Amino acid sequence: MMNNKVKWGLWVAGLISLALYPHIFGIYFSNFFITFAIVALFAISYNLLLGYTGLLSFGHAIFFGAGGYGTALALEHINGLPLIPALLIGIFSAALLALILCPIVARVRHAAFAMLHLAFNYIMYICVLKLRHITGGEDGIAGYNIPPFSIPGIVSFDMTDPILFFYFAVVVLGGSMWLAWFLTKTPLGQIMVGIRDNDMRVDYMGFRVVPTKAVVYIFSAAFAGVAGAMSALFQNMIAADGSVDIAHAFQPILATIVGGASSFFGPIAGAGIFAVLEEVTTRFTQRVELVNGIVLIIVIMYFPSGFIGLVRMIRERLFSRLIAKEVMEEPS
Amino acid sequence: MDASAAMYVAQGIHGLAYGMMLFLIAAGLTLIFGMMGILNLAHAGFFMLSAYFAYQISVWGGNYWVALIFAPLITGFIGALVERFLLRKIVATGLANQLLLTQALVFVIIGLVQAKWGTEYLPFPAPEGLNGLVNIAGMQYPEYRLFMIGISFALLIFMILILYKTRLGMIVRAAVSDAEMVNALGINVPLVFMVVFGVGTWMAGLAGVVIAPVVSVHPYLGDQVGMDAFVVVITGGFGSLGGAFLVAIVLGLLNAYGIQFVSQYAMVITFVFMAVVLAIKPTGLFGERE
Repeated sequence: MMNNKVKWGLWVAGLISLALYPHIFGIYFSNFFITFAIVALFAISYNLLLGYTGLLSFGHAIFFGAGGYGTALALEHINGLPLIPALLIGIFSAALLALILCPIVARVRHAAFAMLHLAFNYIMYICVLKLRHITGGEDGIAGYNIPPFSIPGIVSFDMTDPILFFYFAVVVLGGSMWLAWFLTKTPLGQIMVGIRDNDMRVDYMGFRVVPTKAVVYIFSAAFAGVAGAMSALFQNMIAADGSVDIAHAFQPILATIVGGASSFFGPIAGAGIFAVLEEVTTRFTQRVELVNGIVLIIVIMYFPSGFIGLVRMIRERLFSRLIAKEVMEEPS
Repeated sequence: MDASAAMYVAQGIHGLAYGMMLFLIAAGLTLIFGMMGILNLAHAGFFMLSAYFAYQISVWGGNYWVALIFAPLITGFIGALVERFLLRKIVATGLANQLLLTQALVFVIIGLVQAKWGTEYLPFPAPEGLNGLVNIAGMQYPEYRLFMIGISFALLIFMILILYKTRLGMIVRAAVSDAEMVNALGINVPLVFMVVFGVGTWMAGLAGVVIAPVVSVHPYLGDQVGMDAFVVVITGGFGSLGGAFLVAIVLGLLNAYGIQFVSQYAMVITFVFMAVVLAIKPTGLFGERE
């Protein structure tokens, strides 16, 4: 396969193009890219549950919301809070919420797991709307200070500058994606896949299924919290709609299914497809939901393994033709 | 009777009416789940669609009763088509795909409804002669709520008779317990599935028309009712009609008294109830399978 030199070359080329991206495409498209990256990380965190552990959740937006509101509330109420602690507060509030929920949810599976999360999502949505004095209700929280990213005494970057924020977002979101990828390669990641395929066998092998699920659940929530906190920093506002509403809970599901849940990179592809699709459809029609629904139906009916599955199929066909050719040519 | 007692009775009637509506919707869901193992998230979408059909019929000059007969029939027919051409093909590919496909249908239904009728609240008044109050034993009752309770009871009895006294009902009950075996006995199970799906959707449609005068018609009509119906099915136990009935009534009453006493968090009560039940018994109150 690919040798190390080519791999490193690709990495360097990718990093350089990312570094030049905001200068070439301008602010509109670098914001577009950040939005995409946030959805991609949200979808990856979701796929840790769906694709790797086999848990279908209809309420992953609660963790996105916890992360976003955690960061936004911290910045609103604590004067002079630096950037990184604000981000960490968001992540920890998402993980804490998962820690509170996991005694209930780690024991249930399948439809009960999915519907229980739908219920949690509804509860959270209503609470956010009703607890007006804390969360600002429908208007949400907006206009809090975005602190600069600073290492005291050495350097300080102004995060209200879109280009500097672009680099910050790419580092944080990209780093989180890499961590999630790393997680799937650890022994824990192997047990996750085992639980998805046959949890009873994993149990007989001496691994403890329920605590493992709980750990995965908390990790997944923390990554969703990163996405939520970054979204709160990026938009300088957070409101109930767009963070903890049901439609937002379906965003990572759509991205994961359309991209392909069987691969780590499927959700990224799906997020990209939806980002482009929405960018295009909003120019022609208001009915983004309708278009999303139709796309989802077509994917489920005809391409059940998603975009990545399609790519794999095409690659296999090409390769099988090459292999066939080689086999034919060998005897001569 | 003093004022507070009157309040209890009035809220009780409201709760009972809402509970019976929930049961109408949940019964369709439970039947569909019991037979085919499909958790149909689009059920509430059909419920909302039917209310719009009823509104359209009233715009075209039909009265309430015409709408009550035809709107659910059209909805049920659409439901049967959805089962035949979409769901049947992906049922075998697992729970996730079923849930996602039916949720995608919800998006499509809401999108189409918004494209055709817009997002505003549309009126669909109760029929003449049912929108007043009736006096029973010194108490005022809204006639339409009593009508809601009555029609749901009539349908409940009708359904029990069909399920337990006819050959079709026997086949349905047999297919609930073992569809493969019934198929092997030479009965066209896919056709039965389609009919049951159609009838289940018809019931949701009927509930949609009946509830429309109380809440007026809008694209997100199905959201709360649909959620509540799901809570009913899940907490009652998948596939258990008796469990669905009991929980529907309990939830209706919880909802009505919840609005009275803790109005802000009335919707939360439903989900807390479900979370508590599922945390203790993951299969629901009367359910045997997950």
